[in-house]
Amino acid sequence: MVEVRPEEVSAILRRQLAGFEKEADVYDVGTVVQVGDGVARVYGLSKAMMSELIEFPRGVYGMVLNLEEDNVGCILFGESSEIKEGDTVKRTGRVASMPVGEQMLGRVINALGQPVDGRGLISTTTYMPIERKALGVIQRQPVKEPLQTGIKAVDTMIPIGRGQRELIIGDRQTGKTAIALDTIINQQYTHTEKAKREGIKPVYCIYVAVGQKSATVAQVVDKLQQEGAMDYTTVFAATASDPAPMQYIAPYSAATLGEFFRDSGRHALVIYDDLTKQAQAYRQVSLLLRRPPGREAYPGDVFYLHSRLLERASKLSEELGGGSLTALPVIETQAGDVSAYIPTNVISITDGQIYLEPGLFNSGVRPGINVGISVSRVGGNAQIKAMKKVAGRLRLELAQYRELEAFAKFGSDLDKATLAQLRRGARLVEILKQDQYVPMPVEKQIIVVFAGTGGYLDEVPVEYVRRFESEFLEFMDLKHADLLQTIAEKQDLSDDVMQKVKEILREFTDSFKATVKT
Amino acid sequence: MKNVRVARRYAKALMSIAEEQHEIDAVATDLDLMGTVLNRSRELRLFVASPVIREEKKQTVFQELFGTRIGQTTLSFMHLLLQKRREMLLPDVVEQFNLLRDEEEGIVTVDVTGREELTETQGRELRGRLEEHTGKKVRMRFTVDKAIKGGLVVRIGDTVLDLSVRRQLERVREWLLGGDSRITTNA
Repeated sequence: MVEVRPEEVSAILRRQLAGFEKEADVYDVGTVVQVGDGVARVYGLSKAMMSELIEFPRGVYGMVLNLEEDNVGCILFGESSEIKEGDTVKRTGRVASMPVGEQMLGRVINALGQPVDGRGLISTTTYMPIERKALGVIQRQPVKEPLQTGIKAVDTMIPIGRGQRELIIGDRQTGKTAIALDTIINQQYTHTEKAKREGIKPVYCIYVAVGQKSATVAQVVDKLQQEGAMDYTTVFAATASDPAPMQYIAPYSAATLGEFFRDSGRHALVIYDDLTKQAQAYRQVSLLLRRPPGREAYPGDVFYLHSRLLERASKLSEELGGGSLTALPVIETQAGDVSAYIPTNVISITDGQIYLEPGLFNSGVRPGINVGISVSRVGGNAQIKAMKKVAGRLRLELAQYRELEAFAKFGSDLDKATLAQLRRGARLVEILKQDQYVPMPVEKQIIVVFAGTGGYLDEVPVEYVRRFESEFLEFMDLKHADLLQTIAEKQDLSDDVMQKVKEILREFTDSFKATVKT
Repeated sequence: MKNVRVARRYAKALMSIAEEQHEIDAVATDLDLMGTVLNRSRELRLFVASPVIREEKKQTVFQELFGTRIGQTTLSFMHLLLQKRREMLLPDVVEQFNLLRDEEEGIVTVDVTGREELTETQGRELRGRLEEHTGKKVRMRFTVDKAIKGGLVVRIGDTVLDLSVRRQLERVREWLLGGDSRITTNA
């Protein structure tokens, strides 16, 4: 055995520790004068800067949010009960930052990047500031690649592109989170070998739960794990029991992690669920810091609160690697009131919205998307050609159907054209229905929608449409998998492919009708 | 919470009137006297702080207590404080007044903490260095604190120059633990 002499150990330690006595440790201090509810007022700290990290005793950290003549207002990232009046605090001279890295994938973390899933430390080497300025015009390029949600109603009519900000808005219990989760689950295909061959780059997902019940978050994580989606997903948990400052910064932390992927040329998707709660958390700390309340008691800078967050979503130029950060903010409305303060703000910031209605949801149209007022302002450019060809008429026909539907309830004698339109519309609505957690690949969506808009379903009774759909897709998988493959690879519907699809549809519809009892 | 802002306002007003009448020093001694009396007598402190006692009563007591001992300016100022029901600000006003005076005269108060009393030469040398560092005249307040284990802790305003053995040990501890809390390490 090799011997290590004690003198040697002391010599090495002494050498290593030599630096500590050389220079004076200079720091600025202040005294806590008021503390509670996640905020603290500190007297002194005259050189403190905005957003600077402040070190409180007993391992609590805070961030400067208010600079006043003789005191500084801080939010606390930790238990405020640990802090007492009269405690001495120190400036750190740094802005709040968090660790980032691939190691975060598959983990549940809090707003500071610390793991909360009980699966041990996350060892990362890179730190990035939580609040970062969004990129400028030069660094960006227009959105051009699709982000497939796997939801027929969304991908056909409200397409989302990588780098876009699309709002999901609706009352409680209308399926907002369901859309978000389906989107995450559908990104699984981007991590497959098949997607690689088709030239589709993987999308890393980040789900931020703000102000939700811990039980709900656990459910979400569980579901993602079951579906195998946690491998490429990070969940930020700032639950209802976490201090308001944590709920306020969680979305910014998530954006930082998303930017890490974006800046390394990859694609990331962040879901902020939901920003209404975040605004409320921010309202709480703002009021406690005695900032003047404005409309609905929100402080004057709630617009900036969300605009600076969502502005960080972007599609980078090719020189910077072409990465992207897509944002799907979620907003909960009260009784369908989209003209409340926070909803209008976020609607005006985002590049479109998916509007969910309880009425539709409860009448069995699930997902309950109101396609009339849902829009995507940039995603159309990112739709693949094949989809554009078949989905173009879908929105119009549905709109006409909704209009006629109201009429048809009164009248009895309707002319032939109107009846045809009603018949078509009812089937299109049926086609857009989809179960939760079963995202559909884009090539299948294309042929299903093609069947609907091409009129092949007009003769099929409405209640059999969904059966038709599943049987037809099964049939395609068994007999014509090559055709689906062609559509997926070419991303276009060439004339001969279209011809083939038409033939298959005609044949299948005939045989299907024979099985329907009349 | 300290009412620094209000106290500073009153102190400024008092300062300007004292300047006008060329009796800054006199007012300062008066204030110091009131400050010490207040500090020493718990009864007086409670009396001043109580909102229940009527203004006239307080006026009489102050008149009796200080009427012959302090100058007219300070006495009128005290009456004003009582009238405005701000008498509990008195200690803060004294502090702010002294600060204002120091600012004007270019004096800075430095708190020095050591494990043992400094020798005279040490004190002189430290003062010299501090005056060089701040570029102002230095008033040193020395406290003995065994807990710092050795070295010195110098506090100038909000800035602390920590040369103590305690802090060095703390830093060694942080270093051995591999960096402090995760959020402090910055990119």
